Amino acid sequence: MNLSRRSVLKGMAAGALAAGGPMMTSRSAFAARDKELNILCWEGYNSAQVLDPFRAAKSATVKAESLTNDPTMINRLRAGEISTWDLINVNNPWARKVMWPEKLIKALPRATFEPYFDKMLPMFKPPYKWAMDDTGTDLLGSCQRFGPYSFVVNTDKVSRKTAEDTGWDLFNDPALAGKYGILESDDWNVFGIFVIAGIDPFKVHSDAELATFSETAKKVFKGAKMIGDIATMNQALVSGEIDLHLTGGTYSVSPARADGYPQLRGITPLKGPMPGGKGGISWIEVTSLVNNPTPSPLALEFLEYVQDPAVAHTVAFAEGTYNPVAQMGNPDCYKLFTKEELEAIQWDSLEEEMARSIEYDIVPDYDKALDIMNAAKRVRG
Amino acid sequence: MRATPSWWGAEAIALRLPAAGTRAALPVALLLTAGFVAPLVAIIAYSFATPRSFDVFSSFTLENYAGIFDTSNTVWLSFLWSGLFAIATVALLAVFAYPIAYGMDRLFGRWSSLVSILFVFPLFVSENVRLYGWVLFFIKNGVLDGSLKAVGFDGGPDILFTPGMILAGMVYTYLPFMLFPMTLGLAMVPKDLIDAARDLGASRLQIWREVELPLAMPGILIGMLLTFVLGIGAVAEAKILGGQSVIVIAHDIEIAFTYSQNWPLGSALAVVITLFIGVLTLAVFGKLDLDRLLGRR
Repeated sequence: MNLSRRSVLKGMAAGALAAGGPMMTSRSAFAARDKELNILCWEGYNSAQVLDPFRAAKSATVKAESLTNDPTMINRLRAGEISTWDLINVNNPWARKVMWPEKLIKALPRATFEPYFDKMLPMFKPPYKWAMDDTGTDLLGSCQRFGPYSFVVNTDKVSRKTAEDTGWDLFNDPALAGKYGILESDDWNVFGIFVIAGIDPFKVHSDAELATFSETAKKVFKGAKMIGDIATMNQALVSGEIDLHLTGGTYSVSPARADGYPQLRGITPLKGPMPGGKGGISWIEVTSLVNNPTPSPLALEFLEYVQDPAVAHTVAFAEGTYNPVAQMGNPDCYKLFTKEELEAIQWDSLEEEMARSIEYDIVPDYDKALDIMNAAKRVRG
Repeated sequence: MRATPSWWGAEAIALRLPAAGTRAALPVALLLTAGFVAPLVAIIAYSFATPRSFDVFSSFTLENYAGIFDTSNTVWLSFLWSGLFAIATVALLAVFAYPIAYGMDRLFGRWSSLVSILFVFPLFVSENVRLYGWVLFFIKNGVLDGSLKAVGFDGGPDILFTPGMILAGMVYTYLPFMLFPMTLGLAMVPKDLIDAARDLGASRLQIWREVELPLAMPGILIGMLLTFVLGIGAVAEAKILGGQSVIVIAHDIEIAFTYSQNWPLGSALAVVITLFIGVLTLAVFGKLDLDRLLGRR
């Protein structure tokens, strides 16, 4: 074949047209968006196991981006991505306290979704607080994954009873310095440090309380063997490098338990400084409809799709982390879980641990506390 | 055929327009310039925005910079750690890479290609995966500790999650970035000059100090600059191998953009570090003759 510069240029032009063609088509079809769905979520909902059957059934292009902290996701919407995303999956307080007042999300049809809540575990019976607006009128999202999230121990080194009885004071024990790790979930670590300091995290704090928080943060970070991600924490627990870590729970330790290390266990303390003397903190995901000016009709269909017992089971054991789901209140869903899977998500103690926990909330002076905590991290070296 | 007015001749066009090649390259050049400039403009603009806001281009404050240089702010520790790690990495790599570069240029002969491939090969594997590999190697009851215990020793050293391990990880990761410019620098030294120096009675140390090192210096400096810039922005080693035993500046920037959601502060930190690296780069390149190094004259 005789290649000249002109023929190469012609080929490039044809290639550009071929590449640009579909883009132009999709842009012109953007207004309709009936075959397109964009989801901003925690990991799991972006897995092929969850999305592929939906893509195939709807012949749709479904894109999902996973992030691992709520504030980033909310700010993505605030920064203008409201016209990009159709669904947002974050922890419980954000829909009701932030996204709904700021008109970042819109309400779900109650008649369609409340029957699903009826079939969920008892704590989700409608009207479920975190899925509703302040007035109890509008349904702001659908629920699925949840779990207790305080700290994790290797029960071969610290017994479950000792851990539950001693609670967060374990991290005040000088004997355990160098034997614990800290999971790099900075928002959750703010909660954890407050509780270790004996202070309820979910209120406005006085200067004296923030000073105590600062001292506790310095001490806790100084005594940590390492700070790292979930894989690092589980690896370090399995190898014996550490005996326990904060912050953690079913969400973080379930992959290790599923891999054959049942001695690693999420612990919910029996007592603590939060209202009612509670010592644990839990999270519940609420998935909401983004107030997208050109919404996709597939958003509501996807929310219904994940309520299906088989899909809910897939969501519970999607790649990454394994978690209980609200749909386990439906016997058709519950029976899909094997004994090993129930063991991995600590089903045996789930109800009592949730009862001992305060539900995750927004810390009013989070920014101040986070700055103090970051400063404490810097001086640990 | 239409008559061309005398003032619209080919010469006039040649005077008014750039060459055809330049004109054809213009769209791509504009695209690349925009791609380079736009993010920088956005970061600089964000660094002057109200703290913890998204009011870019609509607010102006020096608060973010004032916060960074406030004496009560401990962020200087992160700058210091990053600077120290980068300097130590450059110094260690200069010592480790020189003998290898010398070998590749003078001693390994036809094996030098294979040696090059061996040093390049790890770059095909994600840095994070390689670093996690080292964690498995050094972790308690891991490859080293477990093997030593299996053959009757007390176990391996407890060095994981320490600043020393961060430095070791950086030296490991950035070795190719020092090695190849250094090899290029050594290859630029004319062998005749070394022979001439030897014929004139220079000792091996004199040849190395007065001929080889000065002539190879442009390559060595480029290697040093490259590894310093990479080192000062390094974060994976401190997070994975160091277990965040120290917080480096790139990690502080990451925290500002994620958990803190303080994009203006993160941008201001990024601008300060960019300016520092920019000034350093200009200073080093001011002393280098790139044309000579690249063999253009």
